[in-house]
Amino acid sequence: MTFAINIGMALFIGPLVAGIVRKMVRARVHSRQGPPIIQPFYDLFKLLGKEDLESSPSLLLRYAPLVAFAAILAAALLTPMGLRPPLGGYGDMIVFAYLITIAAVAVMMAGLICASPYSMVGASRELMMHLVVEPVLIICLVTATIKSGSLLMWDMAGWNYVNGLSISMVVAGIALFLALQAQVGKLPFDIPEAETEIMGGPFIELSGPKLALFQWAFFARQIVYASVLAAIFIPWGIKFIFPWNVAAHLLKIIVLIVLVGLIDVVNPRLKINQAMKYFFGVIAVALIAMVLALLGL
Amino acid sequence: MNAQQLGDSVKQQFGDKVVELSALGPNQLCLTITPDSLVSVAEYLNKDLGCRFVINSGTDRRRQRGKFLITHFFAHDEEKIYITLHTEVGEDQPEVDSITPSVPAANWSERETRDMVGVVPVGHPDPRRLVVADDWPEDVFPLRWDVPHDLKPPPAEGVAMPLLDPPEGASVVPIGPYFPVLEEPEYFRVFVEGEEVVGADYRGFYNHRGIEKLGSSALTYNQVPFIAERICGICGFVHSCSYCQAVERAAGIEVPPRGEYIRTIMLELERIHSHLLWLGIAGHIIGFDTILMQVWRMREPLMWLCERISGNRKTYGMNLVGGVRRDIEPEIHDDVRRVLTDIERQWQELYNAIPGDTTLMARLQGTGILPTEVARARGAVGPTARGSGLPIDVRVDHPYAAYDRLDVKKRVYDGCDNLARTLVRLDETLDSINIIRQALREMPEGEIMAQIDEEIPAGQQAVGSVEAPRGEVFHWVLTGPENRPERWRVRAPTYANLQSVPPMLQGDALADVPIDIGSIDPCFACTDRMEVVDVSSGQVRVYTQDELLNKKY
Repeated sequence: MTFAINIGMALFIGPLVAGIVRKMVRARVHSRQGPPIIQPFYDLFKLLGKEDLESSPSLLLRYAPLVAFAAILAAALLTPMGLRPPLGGYGDMIVFAYLITIAAVAVMMAGLICASPYSMVGASRELMMHLVVEPVLIICLVTATIKSGSLLMWDMAGWNYVNGLSISMVVAGIALFLALQAQVGKLPFDIPEAETEIMGGPFIELSGPKLALFQWAFFARQIVYASVLAAIFIPWGIKFIFPWNVAAHLLKIIVLIVLVGLIDVVNPRLKINQAMKYFFGVIAVALIAMVLALLGL
Repeated sequence: MNAQQLGDSVKQQFGDKVVELSALGPNQLCLTITPDSLVSVAEYLNKDLGCRFVINSGTDRRRQRGKFLITHFFAHDEEKIYITLHTEVGEDQPEVDSITPSVPAANWSERETRDMVGVVPVGHPDPRRLVVADDWPEDVFPLRWDVPHDLKPPPAEGVAMPLLDPPEGASVVPIGPYFPVLEEPEYFRVFVEGEEVVGADYRGFYNHRGIEKLGSSALTYNQVPFIAERICGICGFVHSCSYCQAVERAAGIEVPPRGEYIRTIMLELERIHSHLLWLGIAGHIIGFDTILMQVWRMREPLMWLCERISGNRKTYGMNLVGGVRRDIEPEIHDDVRRVLTDIERQWQELYNAIPGDTTLMARLQGTGILPTEVARARGAVGPTARGSGLPIDVRVDHPYAAYDRLDVKKRVYDGCDNLARTLVRLDETLDSINIIRQALREMPEGEIMAQIDEEIPAGQQAVGSVEAPRGEVFHWVLTGPENRPERWRVRAPTYANLQSVPPMLQGDALADVPIDIGSIDPCFACTDRMEVVDVSSGQVRVYTQDELLNKKY
């Protein structure tokens, strides 16, 4: 059953929450009516039903969307979403970090293989963003590992719940929240895609099912990242009785994603060098959290 | 100094090189000089007297005089004078010395004159073709009188304009010919090293419509304003206004004061909606869609207001030679004031929010630098020039319509960056609101159109210019027989400003390129009315505003 919950959260709650943000946040701030809440599903199914064009003979391009999609789903099975994660006993946070990186590498591959200057620029931006955003996640998880003495994310969540607030975990949580915007690819950090500069970057040559798989993977990615932050660093509600623990988790990630959506709609896009500078600051905050944890705070 | 005195000083300097000298009122000077002195006179005007190069023009006068007339236009903004510098070259040797080496702003227009009339600028540093299509035959010059306006030469395959190659180690990122945020076809070939821009080349004129040719071969004086208004989809009124002013000055027609005030009000309404439109697009370019949506919502009541006044949201069709076709009735005045008050209030909120938005400032401040000297050398106009510290504004420098009776401020910022150009436009939006209020208050009663009893005499010439939202619009009319201009020359502000874009891009990040290009407000075309075609019957139905708002479709 936990399999069903985690997969369902990633595959169906992901697009649904995205639809809610588009209609209730983005369109509201824009003074627009906005599309129906289930518009992301319409889009996905429309794309899935289209002809599968091969814009490059390379096999890498054919499999890159599948790899990204599979990696994110596997990461979802390692992530606590209100219950003990279904694959929690088989993989720890190091496996999780690898899976997330595999998804990012698949995006870069797709960008580098299409011979378009826009996708090249997009791929190199994706690489740079990943290099500064990923360390924040890893340092924060290491902080939790130091505190809880376990590499398993479920144990970290449990430790934080049992032992209550500690300074290092709060600082790490803040650092992770500051990185969340970029992890889910929202403004001001949607730099690798930057529609008005490089027209979607790595995805410019993609269409139909390939594009749908990438988009679906990204909807799921939002849930995965928000879940890591919500479960480990905001452990409220994980000891509720089923189904209330799942409901509490859902509430937390919806609040987080709506917050992300709000920040998205009131910011212009930063340039890559400005974003790098920002994330060096965030990495510093995460490192402070780790040092605090080592000091036992 | 008036035009006559300026002419005398040129005459003194160059003696019998000046063949003919005449002043058309205190503000227009016509000089005819010998071809061999062209470069030195142009240099004297540009360097010594500080005149701004506006445009040049070629006229085929082989029928009348067996010669081509090459005309360079300069503007002395401080003394409020336009200078028309004529040179005649024979048809056996259609060549003229290029002034581009000493007056760089002439670069494009000399190439255009070569493409259109076939007079070669000798010594031009960049002799590539500019305006005509890549497959246009080499020996057909569209603006010569013996080329019909509907000539269709056979298309050719495999021809392309030779574009510059990137410098060593740089790669090419194409911005265009169709780029999502620049709604018109224009091709910037941007050379980048990593994310840094190291150079750029430009190819434009994909959509040349031959409007000047139509004006001098197929239309009459009073049909031209309607075509002129369609030169631009956003600021069309400035073109018809500018053209009408040129003809009126050439023929000595006095526009009644009420007509002048109505023109002023429409021009300022157009400026408000154009600046708001630009602000929205600029927001969209840097990924800030909230600005786009909110500003365009703010702008919409103004479009409805224009529809009430003129019958159209855009392309008002109100100008004719001699005045305007529609009055602004007293019962509309209150509505105008109400719409303006609404816009002013929302504009104030926006203006207060901008300096506090650090991410927005990070994108605008210090990007797209156009130094004052470069702006002057490249002949930049309008907010592009004023954002680079050049105090030029046609409304003050060369007053037209009712601007000499109204309070117009020049808004000059010396930041030279995208932020400065943004602030110029924001300030001007508020100024326009106040100008319209003042004009409504002071508008005299009376006629709106002059009585024209006599035919417009041939062989007269005059300049008409208007400060469009994007800068100076310049029209020159040489009157001809058959109730139509012999030559009608148009220069839209983007023509001057686009030449300033390549230096702006230099050294910026690739991410800045779209907003740099957008910051000069390149002319965007737009459609404005939803039209539904019934496929089975072929019937066309246009919805009204009420139906659209209430979703009755």
